[in-house]
Amino acid sequence: MKNRLKVLRAERDWSQADLAQRLEVSRQSVNAIETGKYDPSLPLAFKLARLFETTIEAIFSDENG
Amino acid sequence: MNCMNNPVARRLMWRLTITMVLYVAFLVLAVEIFVHYRPTGPLAWLLAVLPALPVIGQLAVFGLYLAEEKDEFMRNLQIQAMLWGIGATLAVTTAWGFLENFAQVPHLDLYLVYPLFWFFVGISTPLLKARYK
Repeated sequence: MKNRLKVLRAERDWSQADLAQRLEVSRQSVNAIETGKYDPSLPLAFKLARLFETTIEAIFSDENG
Repeated sequence: MNCMNNPVARRLMWRLTITMVLYVAFLVLAVEIFVHYRPTGPLAWLLAVLPALPVIGQLAVFGLYLAEEKDEFMRNLQIQAMLWGIGATLAVTTAWGFLENFAQVPHLDLYLVYPLFWFFVGISTPLLKARYK
């Protein structure tokens, strides 16, 4: 699944480790989500959306959609 | 798992240490009693099973870890590694069983199946981590 995490992080000048700390997950998790190798669960996607004060659809997009 | 700042992983390490200490203690106790007193009957059965109890506890410790781990990606990774461990252990032990029957290879003691499982989990974990890099 494509996502805009890298852009959203850059806008706030957060490193992967910063985002990981805010999400209470490991840096590896952030990296796996950001590179599209791991799709987060709905609760984690909502947590990301709340953190970036946006919607899940604004962060993630279905590659087929 | 980052042990330095993940309390769940730290708890896992502590619990594993306790089971390992108990395993060594129970094994030494069982061996000493068997060597010096040669027990028979129910006592022999009980003593023989004694070292397996911390090993069973260790599996429960990993079950607790999977239940407590809040990082879903790491939990998923660990579950995948354990599934690879189970699959590889079943494949190797099944093949070895037939080799014992038909090709007279040395007998594999069943208590070696458990460390074999963790050996395969240990191999799988970095390979799976590399897949997500």
